[in-house]
Amino acid sequence: MNHSLSQPSLRSHLRALWMITVLNWKHHWRYPLSAVSDVFQPLIWLAPVYFMGQAFSVNGKAEGFAGYAGTTDYMSYIIVGTALANFIMAVFWGMGFSLKWDMNGGVLEANWLSPLPRPLMLVGRTFSSIATTSITSLGMILVAKLLWGFNPIGDLWPALLTLLPLLIGLYGFGFAFAAVVMLMREANTLVDSGSFIIQILSGANFPVTVLPKWLLPVSLALPLTYGFDAVRGYLLKTPTLLPLQWELIILVAFMFVMIFVGLRTFYALERRVLQKGSIGQY
Amino acid sequence: MQSTQTLLTTALPALQPLSKSGFIAQVRAFAAVMWREWFHFVRYPTWIIAFIIWPILFPAVYILGAFSLAGPTGAGIDVFLKTAGTTNFLGYIVVGTTVWMWINTMLWNVGFALREEMMRGTLESNWMSPTSRFYFLIGTGPVHAATMVMFLICTIVEFKLIFNLDFNANLLSLLVVIITALPALYGMGFTFASVVISARESQNFVFLIRGIVMIFCGITYPLSVMPGWMQSIANWIPPTVMIRVGRAAALNHATIPELAPDLFLLLLHGAFWMLFGYLAFVMIERRARRKGSLGQY
Repeated sequence: MNHSLSQPSLRSHLRALWMITVLNWKHHWRYPLSAVSDVFQPLIWLAPVYFMGQAFSVNGKAEGFAGYAGTTDYMSYIIVGTALANFIMAVFWGMGFSLKWDMNGGVLEANWLSPLPRPLMLVGRTFSSIATTSITSLGMILVAKLLWGFNPIGDLWPALLTLLPLLIGLYGFGFAFAAVVMLMREANTLVDSGSFIIQILSGANFPVTVLPKWLLPVSLALPLTYGFDAVRGYLLKTPTLLPLQWELIILVAFMFVMIFVGLRTFYALERRVLQKGSIGQY
Repeated sequence: MQSTQTLLTTALPALQPLSKSGFIAQVRAFAAVMWREWFHFVRYPTWIIAFIIWPILFPAVYILGAFSLAGPTGAGIDVFLKTAGTTNFLGYIVVGTTVWMWINTMLWNVGFALREEMMRGTLESNWMSPTSRFYFLIGTGPVHAATMVMFLICTIVEFKLIFNLDFNANLLSLLVVIITALPALYGMGFTFASVVISARESQNFVFLIRGIVMIFCGITYPLSVMPGWMQSIANWIPPTVMIRVGRAAALNHATIPELAPDLFLLLLHGAFWMLFGYLAFVMIERRARRKGSLGQY
């Protein structure tokens, strides 16, 4: 009879999930300068956007901008976009490199030998990443409000509920992306330019209707575009690309598709790694 | 009984260093450092992708933002004309963001030159060679400058082709601006490289410096929209002057006599930062020798 010494159960899996989450949470705050930098980096990127907005505004009102976005409150529009873009960056840089960092650190092989479902490692990382990114985004919004003003005139709770399928879908994509990055030797250019392109196309810093006509269909094909649009629609009462109900349906569908694609890609990677025995190489 | 000193002088009368570090040898070593940097740059072909993507991608965020601020009817352009003195906001942003990208890559490449060597474990052995140690640092400058000239050419070509941007450039003035800006720019880089050599979480220093440039130097807007105290600080930062003369030469066909006061100011900045960079390096080198900390990171 072939018995394993380990006796994995739902309880032990939950305990492991908690430990993975705590590990990543601790790892994040272990470098306080980097954590503070996470709050201030988006603000630094926002400064030229703010002053540029001033160069196009009269008495703080961007009348030209209202023609595209339906609001003269340029900075509130941008701050919402930047806060959401923080999660894109967290998925691309944090989740994307997670398996590769474990590999470089020489702990991936040992971790994979533990009697755990392997996607659990990424789920734990997702929890800590959402928590830390939410805290840094909140800090960023508070400082931005003090510096430049942030005036959400809409409803907060529907906006937060809209975030749920958006974030779950985004992190589902992160599963697949982590697997791809792990297989590549040099992924910095891919990650750097990939995250930048996604931010541009999903309208983090401007209404997507500004995009050239040949690029607009690509933007409209991205579910993230509707996520940004719906959150702004609820929070700032800006006109949306589609009726809000339709945008929510797209986001929920995106969530399920991305979880499926993320897990399938992850399992495909696991199979490939088992066949090649390459988990310890990089 | 003979003293130790007498023993050494009698037993080893011809004890001299094996290396003969003359002027030619120093020049050859400097060339070797530059060649190594160039070889390292072209060794990873992803730079080609970066040179194609980034000249358009980074300014695109601000350019599309500016288009949205201008509005569908162009209502915002008149306001921009009043504050910036030009309706060519596209060119205005391209020059500012290109100077920022130059500084950003300079900080990551030149600024991290010594630290990278430290991480790789080659700094200690290189510094034991009879070559001026400062060459190991300044050798990175010319190679980075050369790659950035290639980057500039890519930027001009891409914006001409994709956005049909009218540069109205005075090429001679532009060339003089670039050459004049080099000492200030790389002097800052050498200072930075010396300071961050043993810093933990050193990437945050890059974020800080490039953040200062991004906020204060008017990469996408005229300085007049900033509060007075910020304008005072901006005028002391070399990239502000670089962006100002760069815009004048690239967009307004400014001649060299028209740019002379700012060019002179850039040269002064250059002299200061080169000297400061050298002194910072000497100080760090002395400290490293005293503490024996070159092999640690």
